[in-house]
Amino acid sequence: MEGPKIVVRGLSKVFGTGDKAVLALDDVSFTVPKGQFLCILGPSGCGKTTLLRILAGLEKKTGGHLVLHHENPAQPLNSMVFQEYSLLPWLTVLDNVAYGLRMRGIPPREREARARGFIDKVGLGEFARSYPHQLSGGMKQRVSVARAFVNDPEILLMDEPFASLDEQNKILLQQELLRIWEGTNKTVVYVTHSIDEALYLGDRILLMTARPGRIKRDIEVSFPRPRDFKELKTNPRFAALFAEVWGALKEEVLGTTLKERPPRLAGT
Amino acid sequence: MAGPWKMVMDNISRDRLISILSPLMLLLLWEALVRFHLLDYRFFPPPSTIVGRFWELLVDGTIPSHVAISLFRVFSGFLVGAVPGVIIGLTMGLFPVIRAALEPVVAATYPIPKLALLPLMLLIFGYGEASKIATIGLGCFFLVLINTVAGVVNIDKIFLDVARNYGATKRDYYLTIALPGALPMIFTGMKLGLGVSLLLIVAAEMIGAQNGIGYLIWTSYQIFRLEDMYIGLVLMAFFGYFFTMGLNSLERVVIPWKDPKS
Ligand SMILES: Nc1ncnc2c1ncn2[C@@H]1O[C@H](COP(=O)(O)OP(=O)(O)O)[C@@H](O)[C@H]1O
Ligand SMILES: [Mg+2]
Repeated sequence: MEGPKIVVRGLSKVFGTGDKAVLALDDVSFTVPKGQFLCILGPSGCGKTTLLRILAGLEKKTGGHLVLHHENPAQPLNSMVFQEYSLLPWLTVLDNVAYGLRMRGIPPREREARARGFIDKVGLGEFARSYPHQLSGGMKQRVSVARAFVNDPEILLMDEPFASLDEQNKILLQQELLRIWEGTNKTVVYVTHSIDEALYLGDRILLMTARPGRIKRDIEVSFPRPRDFKELKTNPRFAALFAEVWGALKEEVLGTTLKERPPRLAGT
Repeated sequence: MAGPWKMVMDNISRDRLISILSPLMLLLLWEALVRFHLLDYRFFPPPSTIVGRFWELLVDGTIPSHVAISLFRVFSGFLVGAVPGVIIGLTMGLFPVIRAALEPVVAATYPIPKLALLPLMLLIFGYGEASKIATIGLGCFFLVLINTVAGVVNIDKIFLDVARNYGATKRDYYLTIALPGALPMIFTGMKLGLGVSLLLIVAAEMIGAQNGIGYLIWTSYQIFRLEDMYIGLVLMAFFGYFFTMGLNSLERVVIPWKDPKS
């Protein structure tokens, strides 16, 4: 792997001011090498979405430093797959997938051809002219993934894209995601609250603490690629790593439910 | 299988038959009551005379010319009001600063009955078409504006994030997010605007015009020709009905993505 793609140093985020201030992220530091598939794993409400939105430039950081290396100005720096359904209801599947290309001024014919390619890749060829309300949840997220990939960004930011799907669909989409990603050399920051998902997808897992979100552990996941979900699940090293991650994550989940951390900033 | 289906069909055609027959029956009753002097024919001229007079005015070109000028005023006024209403509404919806600046102005001026502004419009624009068009324009403007703003403000914030993440320019925010997202509400505003236009056109033509359907109704009152007045009323009813139908079909064409369930 090459030089760092993302460098985050002492990043913090406070929502609101005065009495209502909430510390969402506190002193978050990590470095992501180019081409890495990084999973950020943490209990719900720990600030994963906030961290991703700051990386995407959709949210301002309160403190710290953040550098994203943009190598090729002709290519977009990042594209995000959002946690909630985010397809534009007034555009067809085809136009949704081609949205980023349209914003970049790519001519209609070319963007349509490229969008169709990715729509076929996620198995929705016959739904190119459908509107989002005609699709199931799994199909919508496939379209969202295609929309991000076809935009060909250097960094993909994915916020629990499959969290709302049933187990079967989730596994299918994870497999598709790996298949599309492998060989692209794209850096991925993938947020999840599922240990299985993080172990299956990631080269590395950053474990976050409950709010305020800090980096608790940095875990290497060195299973060879391409990975097979069935094989991986029966691998004893998978089980050992799962136990290790669960042990660390459990403390955080129990910490929030039993102790009920003070939700406000001390002293403000 | 045939049984219940046939019953549904029977119900539909029976209901349709009733809905056609009932107004006809009402007209017949009206005609009969006048003939038997149970209704005063001076206030309620029998439908047969109204229809005869309608034909007369249609053939001699009186009705077509009144209708044409009224339609011209309504559509011009509608465009003059709705187009800026949509553009300013989208801008207010997209930019909170502009919304904060303009909202008090809108809130203060919106409640003024637009008809009350007709004398002012007559002073400013004179007795010609501009004064009527401006009055109708004002009525449509506010309704379209207010509904457009509400439509944009209610667009899910996630779509703005999508636009931003994919590098939308200002123009893209207008054309790919705000306008399509607010379109259902814009249509609501336009339907209300057309309703108000009909109200205003009649009033404006009664006070400040020498032609149009409002003028027809007013002069027939002055010379006590009630057949003509009824013709004017029926024409207005038809306009209202066809405008609404037209906007409804336009809505179905330009909003094909509307989820029928929501
Ligand atoms: N716009 C906001 N305003 C105020 N508080 C927010 C906002 N967004 C997130 N938060 C708070 O920040 C914390 C982290 O939220 P989030 O990043 O969404 O967590 P996660 O994605 O890990 O579930 C939560 O306590 C949430 O209530
Ligand atoms: Mg989240």
